[in-house]
Amino acid sequence: MTGDHPPRPEEDRAELAEEQASLFRITLAPVIWAAHFLVCYGLVAVTCAKGWDIDAVRLGLILFSAGALGGIGWIGLAAWRQWNLSATGDRVNRRGRPEDRHRFLGHAAFLLSIISAIGVIFVALPLILIGGCQ
Amino acid sequence: MTRAPRDTSPLPAPSGPYPPTQAMLAEPVPDDLRRAQADRLRKVWETPKGWRYVKAVNNSEVGKWYCLTALVFMLLAGIMALLMRLQLAVPEHDLISADRFNQLFTMHGSAMMFLFAVPMFEAVSILLLPGLLGARDMPFPRLSAFGYWCFLIGGVFVIGSILFDVAPRSGWFMYPPLATQDEGPGSDIWLLGLSFIEVASIAAAVELIVGTLKCRPPGMRVNIMPLYAWYVLVVGGMILFAFPPLIAGDFLFELERSFNWPFFDPERGGDPMLWQHLFWIFGHPEVYIIFLPSIAIAAMIIPTVARRPIFGYSWIVLSAVGTGFLSFGLWVHHMFTTGLPSISLGFFSAASEAVVIPTGIQIFAFLATLMAGRVKMTLPMLWISGALAIFTMGGLTGVMLAMAPFDFQAHDTYFIVAHLHYTLFGGMVFPVIAGVYYFFPFFQKKLMSERLGRWSFWLVFSGFNLCFLPMHLTGLWGMPRRVYTYPTGLGWDGLNMISTLGAFVVAAGFVVFVWDLIRPKKDQPQIPRNPWEAGTLEWTHDVPEETWGVRSIPHVTSRYPLWDQPGMQDRMDAGRYYLPDAQEGKRETLVTSVIDAEPVQVQRVTGPTWITHLAAGFTGGAFILPTFHLYPPAMVCGALAVCCILYWLWTSTARPPEADSKDVGLGLTLPTYAAGSASVGWWAMWITMLGDATAFASLVFGFFFYWTAAPNFPPEGAAHAVALLVALAALGLAGSWALTLGARRLNRSGLVGAARLCLGLAPLAAAGGAAALIGSVWTLDPESHVYPAVLWALTIWITVHAGVGVIMQLYCLAGSLFGKLTPRYDADLWNVSLYWHFVVLAALVTCAVMGLAPGAL
Repeated sequence: MTGDHPPRPEEDRAELAEEQASLFRITLAPVIWAAHFLVCYGLVAVTCAKGWDIDAVRLGLILFSAGALGGIGWIGLAAWRQWNLSATGDRVNRRGRPEDRHRFLGHAAFLLSIISAIGVIFVALPLILIGGCQ
Repeated sequence: MTRAPRDTSPLPAPSGPYPPTQAMLAEPVPDDLRRAQADRLRKVWETPKGWRYVKAVNNSEVGKWYCLTALVFMLLAGIMALLMRLQLAVPEHDLISADRFNQLFTMHGSAMMFLFAVPMFEAVSILLLPGLLGARDMPFPRLSAFGYWCFLIGGVFVIGSILFDVAPRSGWFMYPPLATQDEGPGSDIWLLGLSFIEVASIAAAVELIVGTLKCRPPGMRVNIMPLYAWYVLVVGGMILFAFPPLIAGDFLFELERSFNWPFFDPERGGDPMLWQHLFWIFGHPEVYIIFLPSIAIAAMIIPTVARRPIFGYSWIVLSAVGTGFLSFGLWVHHMFTTGLPSISLGFFSAASEAVVIPTGIQIFAFLATLMAGRVKMTLPMLWISGALAIFTMGGLTGVMLAMAPFDFQAHDTYFIVAHLHYTLFGGMVFPVIAGVYYFFPFFQKKLMSERLGRWSFWLVFSGFNLCFLPMHLTGLWGMPRRVYTYPTGLGWDGLNMISTLGAFVVAAGFVVFVWDLIRPKKDQPQIPRNPWEAGTLEWTHDVPEETWGVRSIPHVTSRYPLWDQPGMQDRMDAGRYYLPDAQEGKRETLVTSVIDAEPVQVQRVTGPTWITHLAAGFTGGAFILPTFHLYPPAMVCGALAVCCILYWLWTSTARPPEADSKDVGLGLTLPTYAAGSASVGWWAMWITMLGDATAFASLVFGFFFYWTAAPNFPPEGAAHAVALLVALAALGLAGSWALTLGARRLNRSGLVGAARLCLGLAPLAAAGGAAALIGSVWTLDPESHVYPAVLWALTIWITVHAGVGVIMQLYCLAGSLFGKLTPRYDADLWNVSLYWHFVVLAALVTCAVMGLAPGAL
């Protein structure tokens, strides 16, 4: 990632090339939230409808939630490094340079990973708090 | 045989200096050249005069018609609300019959949602987006026009039904079995008329997403684009995932209404809950589809009145994207009382509470901007303040309702009516009116009256609270929604009278607003170019009006270029930026890369035409005639609509250019043709198919929903699809896909004859596959049970898609034979292969479901 020195043009190009094509990376954490939500809702709905063992499913989904949080945390950490606040001190990234765009995407992904983590925790709470299907 | 040139050399890449240096920008343009350029541009972008004016496809014209039409529908729906309030003013009133009242509340909700709120987003965006992005026009002007005419036809049809006393009357969400068993054409009008409008919405979403991603001015990287563009992107994406489930639901609903296929009939294995799920998977995100673009208007106004950049740009992007995602996890909170397991309710309750966080962040970012700035209380800001106050109230009752136990109590009472009007008025109506005041000088080159505006604001604001604040109490005291009258003595009498008075005060406010909007303003002196001293690109517009959008497309390096890039306006006016000329006499705009907005292509855009009207008229016939069970004429209309669209595509899209590249100014030379992911057409196809795939996924969801919900699905001893024919269908459709792909590769490498052979064989394979699929279910009776019905529905879906795919393959074959499609200019073939990727995926999933699922379940 970008170090303390001002980025050299060639380094810029290599580093930024990967995000030229796609905006989708900032949505990775929310996508994990969505997948987690769907799996929880779908599996619990089928379990309750078909009379499967809800306690086992709950335990499995709580572990799955922990895994989802881990994934979001990993994305968040990478995004935090990409934002690189401690080195630049720039919270706003409002200028039109490539590194501004690079750090802005890191910032946005970082914030989205926080909101996604909160979402996953919220959605996991019923698994812990509510005992069974009724 | 091969008349087409076999030139297979690659298309030229962009060349020349970029970004431009200060010295290049400072170079003057000679006066006579400047005048000649302006004359050529003016001529090319001229709006047709006289009665030919309706031919216009320019975003500035279509956007205005769209806004005005949506406004008229809104006023009509408002009049329906007034009639209902009159009926409810006193207990046991007999002004309106119960049946008429049912029609009124159904149409009020449907029209406000489908004919006002969603189209208004599209209308405002079509009107503003090119200005905000310094683009000449949207990438597909005729698609916007087509969408508008579809909307007008569909809207008049739906809303007109109330004049004939046949309007839909089962509530705006059309729950079966009430709606499926309702006699008369009301439900069909709702379904077909609104499906038609949904198609127009998806067209607009495609247009707006591609516009935002590919038509930004050079240098406008994603971190500096106007917040409105971010919201358009998020909302466009949401439309693609939210509307298709409803289209799939409509498809099943109409099959039940017209042919008695029992998708929602529990006696034959169907389930009314499936409709509720499909409707609300659409219906809840839709609330945010309405809210986000309106709040985006606030995000444009607030920095201007605070005279400082927005506080927390990234945070607002977070809240837009975050709300976009979380809003898809809320739909069951409309279904809390349907008896789902409480743990399932818990998930949706939790997600409903979570969505408050990004929404709140957005509001706090606005407040922080206002606190840090020097606020000038202009008229638009007054309306924004009203919006924030009212929306916050609606949000707070939303937090209450997201808790399932409270919702059990308040469900279907006037408390809900109060809540939803607070969110929609605060989240949509107030910001949009603020936007009208703010952007009026941009699109009409006149100012609205300060005095009338304040009158209108205080009437609407006080009337609104007078009308809806008491409804919280009416609801908590037990008054149910959708009742046409109520007995006296339950404590509701006075509250209802107050609400009715309030409704008329709101109406008075709207009268003032509409008068201010339409009153002649001929005597008004010429307005200043940037009356609010804003910092964004749309305020570089020309006063008096020029129809070219921008005189030259600037190089942007800041979020607020008018504040941060001194001299930009003069340079734009002098034609010292990109595309200052139209030597070939063609309408053009600049296409840039998605993330960093580096110029990559000059895109030819289409001009005034009648073909869009014809296409929209026939499409209208194809949707509207089945309402009256006139199927043969509807099919004729459908075929004619396809012909019109083919003619339009053939004559004006992806034609080989007269030169491969052209000088766009500042020493830069750009290609004039692109194929594959570099072209805007490919992006449009990709986005459309994403929505199409969502609708297909909803159908497959339906199949598994029946399996989950019913104890015996498929029923024991049921006949299944013929496995051998299902396998043949998979083979045929996959073969057609492979041949299409092969044609693209062969054509690229210059083997035109082999490519044509592939394109000739591909339709045969597709037709064979589709025939095998139909054959596999031919003996099953879809009226008997939902299992054969859902197999038939999947078959119809795949067959129709294969049919469209065949038309596309033949279009490419014709293109190759007549020199429209060559090894170098093969954009059509790229788009068709992309379409076939999706078709083959859907076909294989269908075949797996039909062939394998019966054994596996």
